[in-house]
Amino acid sequence: MRSRRDAARFFGMPRDNFDWALFLTASALAVIGVVNLYSATSVSRAALSEIYIQQVYWLVLGGILGAVVAVIDYRHYERLGYILYGVGVVFLLLVFILGKDIRGSSRWIQIGSFGFQPSEFMKLFLIIALAKYLHDDPKTEDRSLKDLVGPAILAAIPTFLILKQPDLGTALILLLMFATVCLLTKIKWQSLVSLVVAFGIATPVLWTYVLKDYQKQRILVFLNPEANLLGSGWHAHHARVAIGAGGWTGEGFMRGTQNQFLFLPDQHSDFPFAVFAEDWGFLGCLVLVALYSFLVLWAIRIAATAKDRFGAVLAIGVGALIFWHAFFNLGMVTGILPVVGVTLPLFSAGGSSVLTIMLGIGLLMNVSMRRFYVSPARTTGLLTSI
Amino acid sequence: VSNLLVPRSDVSEFRKRYRWMALVAFLAFAAIVVRLFQLQVVKGAEYAAQAHENVIRRVTIPTTRGIIRDAQGKILASSRPSFNVLVVPGRVMPSARPQKPGRRQEEADSWERIAATLRLNPDERARFSARIKDACVTDEDRSPCWHPIVVREDLARDIVAELKQHAQEMQGAEVVSQPVRYYPYKNLGVHMLGYTAEIDADTLARYRPKGWESMTAEERQKQNPLGYEPGDVIGATGVERAWESYLRGQRGWEKRVVDARGRYRTGPEADRLLDEGGAEAHARQEPLSGRDLRLTVDIELEQAIERAMRPYQAGSAVVVDVRTGRLLALYSKPDYDPNDLAGGAGHDRIRETFNKLYTDPLRPMLDKTVSGAFQPGSTFKPFSALAALEDKVVDPSEHERCDGFLSYGRRIFHCTHVHGKVNMHDAIAQSCNIYFFKIAPLVTMDRIARIATEFGLGQKTGIGVNPESPGRIPTRSWYALRYKGAFQIGFTLNTSIGQGATTVTPLQLALAYGAIANGGTVYSPQIVRAVETSDGNVVQDFPPRVRQKARVNPQNLAYVNDALYGVVNEQKGTAFPVREASLEIAGKTGTAQTGYVNVNNDDPKRAWYLARDHAWFASYWPAKSPEIAVVVLVEHGGSGPTIAAPIAIQIIREYHRIETTRIAKSQPKGKDANKDAPTPKAAAAAVKADADGGAPATPPDLGPLPPDPLALPPDLGPDPPTPPEER
Repeated sequence: MRSRRDAARFFGMPRDNFDWALFLTASALAVIGVVNLYSATSVSRAALSEIYIQQVYWLVLGGILGAVVAVIDYRHYERLGYILYGVGVVFLLLVFILGKDIRGSSRWIQIGSFGFQPSEFMKLFLIIALAKYLHDDPKTEDRSLKDLVGPAILAAIPTFLILKQPDLGTALILLLMFATVCLLTKIKWQSLVSLVVAFGIATPVLWTYVLKDYQKQRILVFLNPEANLLGSGWHAHHARVAIGAGGWTGEGFMRGTQNQFLFLPDQHSDFPFAVFAEDWGFLGCLVLVALYSFLVLWAIRIAATAKDRFGAVLAIGVGALIFWHAFFNLGMVTGILPVVGVTLPLFSAGGSSVLTIMLGIGLLMNVSMRRFYVSPARTTGLLTSI
Repeated sequence: VSNLLVPRSDVSEFRKRYRWMALVAFLAFAAIVVRLFQLQVVKGAEYAAQAHENVIRRVTIPTTRGIIRDAQGKILASSRPSFNVLVVPGRVMPSARPQKPGRRQEEADSWERIAATLRLNPDERARFSARIKDACVTDEDRSPCWHPIVVREDLARDIVAELKQHAQEMQGAEVVSQPVRYYPYKNLGVHMLGYTAEIDADTLARYRPKGWESMTAEERQKQNPLGYEPGDVIGATGVERAWESYLRGQRGWEKRVVDARGRYRTGPEADRLLDEGGAEAHARQEPLSGRDLRLTVDIELEQAIERAMRPYQAGSAVVVDVRTGRLLALYSKPDYDPNDLAGGAGHDRIRETFNKLYTDPLRPMLDKTVSGAFQPGSTFKPFSALAALEDKVVDPSEHERCDGFLSYGRRIFHCTHVHGKVNMHDAIAQSCNIYFFKIAPLVTMDRIARIATEFGLGQKTGIGVNPESPGRIPTRSWYALRYKGAFQIGFTLNTSIGQGATTVTPLQLALAYGAIANGGTVYSPQIVRAVETSDGNVVQDFPPRVRQKARVNPQNLAYVNDALYGVVNEQKGTAFPVREASLEIAGKTGTAQTGYVNVNNDDPKRAWYLARDHAWFASYWPAKSPEIAVVVLVEHGGSGPTIAAPIAIQIIREYHRIETTRIAKSQPKGKDANKDAPTPKAAAAAVKADADGGAPATPPDLGPLPPDPLALPPDLGPDPPTPPEER
């Protein structure tokens, strides 16, 4: 007689396989994030100082939605994969019509009293679409570039639309997620090499003949923000001072001078880590980076134990989302990467961003909880072979 | 359910990749940790210091400029607060800022209310509204949206009160007080006193040359010992400029906690940071306030001169104490109000005033007592006479005949009228040109030049205030150079009566007449009597300085003195008709031709004015034991005896009245310190002096302005640095 646990494994009953490690890691990050936001915005103007409360609301909403996403078997998402993707693209198109223009780019759609950023949710839709494509693809060995045209088109459409907004950071994240998923597949080495070579040739040609001067200028400023000392270079400089001032143990909660005296720009959106580093020092940062690493490595583990390709790509996709966000944000704040507007998952304030991450973690949980499900085909195969 | 049981996809394709991905992710995060280690641990101290520097800054503490007082302790220049209104664009007009989703309207616009309170006219209102909207195109932390802009300068106190009272409804408006130089006597004595102005770019560049940013503290101290910074106030002319280093004072500094927007922070957090900084953070340099100056000038006398000169457009007057060289009054007309230029009334007023001053043909900016050189006319005759007496080339008792004209070669030289037979005494008293023309060829130009030089003419007096003109005492060689050797005897003739190339400044002439009066001692003119600290202690007292002793025979000097006495007191003297019997004045009138020829097709009215003679009167009083020398010049005033002499006499009368009143007031105090009111006798004396003077009496202790809280009542003022001159 099968035990109850075996039954759960077989039928994919989720509740007995709850992934506590994932849950606790994400919860820890969310709590630290809110506490840090409190410190970051405690001295700001009235409009900002309530942001941490809003963040709690978003986290609660995200948690509920994430739980819903986790409970429904992910195979249902597979069927809806392209539909969801289509909805995402339609919303991206709507941005151009309804979008609110802020600082020269329109990323928001206003619904009632609050706006949301379709590009954030598009990240998840892209993951699902890519997962479905690879899941349905009969080919499993030695993919050539031709075999990646489908996924490439899937990634290119939203990337292009987001670049048009323009939102360089989000577009970059989409491309990197696509690249990560591609590397998951077995591409032929020759294909990879030829891709790299083609890129190497195309870049100088594009630079010399296609790009206009002002476009080149923009790219140069983007690559070398220090040159633009009054703009983003100023941000990067002060972020570094704040982090460095933290030392080993930090100046203490809400005592970081650079934040308290407003030297940190965008302390709630792009630079909350600088506030954290100043308050808690190297040791605090170590804990935080460890939490992010654990989350990413755990996502890879979930992918590795997933029972099918859809689940595996889903897990890797969400893992890549978290990884690239965290890596780019930390790299930018510590000054090893150029300043690109990329948020730090669960740390940066923002409804759309929090919801996306929470839903992503719901997806991870979903895959994780159903990892013990044994394919009936394989079981029957085993049985028949005996 | 059935499709859930069909074979799912095979995951074996991905198996080998996971390990690589995990490795890459791990290495990436490790790189972040290494970078954090480098920032926080390796360079942590460095960044901590920088963070500290960002937050704790050296903030300068302003100093106050010294006060300038007149000889009696009346304040001539001090500082008063000026209230300026600044508004922060993003706060007075939140509606102009870009709207973000999710942000509700925080506050209503307060700008309209503020504009109404400040009584801005529609034009200004539109201008500032446009500026505010421009500033608020973006509202990031460092956008101009958060930089205050000045809307009104030097507000009236009732508007300030209104602003403060309704501060709740005027979000974003701030009243800041800024010291502004204040001259209570306005136009009076503006040329010698000068005014202050914001330091201009050229001057600042001299104090802060290229490479200033990279200089060490010592080099900076050497280049810029007074520590000028952009926007500082500096003395522009007069005493304000010449004594700048005394008046300015020195800034102090202290460490303050400052946020990124430059605002000071106080409270426990700030105190904690300062405490952590230790002794260095609590270091503080107290500001040194500027030194006060006590001038030799008497503003009451200055007022009297202003009254006497009122009917005339342009001119100047100098009153000097012949026993010390101290200047009792320096007056130059036309003048201007230094308050307009000192910035209290706003920048628009400064621009407007400058435009007006620089287009005025009467040149109000020029201090004519020091910088203006004029032909002295007949006031120069005593020096020609002395030159003749010194070398005994002429016997003064010998008579020459004056027919009213004299032809010399092809030219005819004129006299004022026919004097008949005159000796030297009569020639001076009646101002006969012909006499001097006749003796001039014997005396020669160089002898006259020597005597004039002995009395300090033709040289800078060294007053040290305002750019000084040396004037000119021509010599034969000067003419030889100028006219390429073609020397004519006519030059000498002109020189002997103070015409031609001879020019003097009124100050030079006053000092020279002072020397005639006091027996030949030429003093250095003195305008600042003492330097005092702000609580009235004398830091430095300046005794009179003798510049030179005129080497002349006392008998000859006595002869000239007698002749000058005759000018006013003899029946035939030129100033006799306007003399005042009660005052024994000695002096010399002068009517100097200007040599104006209308070559530029000037406006006829202007040409008429410019062609008129300068009216001079140079004098001293009392004639027997002289105290003061008075020189009056009315530019293009006409005749010296009828125009200038009455003014000088009125000045002397006023001086006499002021002195008498003061003595009368000070005497009862000496007997009984409790009695502040003058005794009946002294009061009677004062009244009598007033009656004698006949001039409109001003209350001696009340300035023309509401009492300044800083002003010391004259009776309670600090003790004069030196015992007062003999009364």
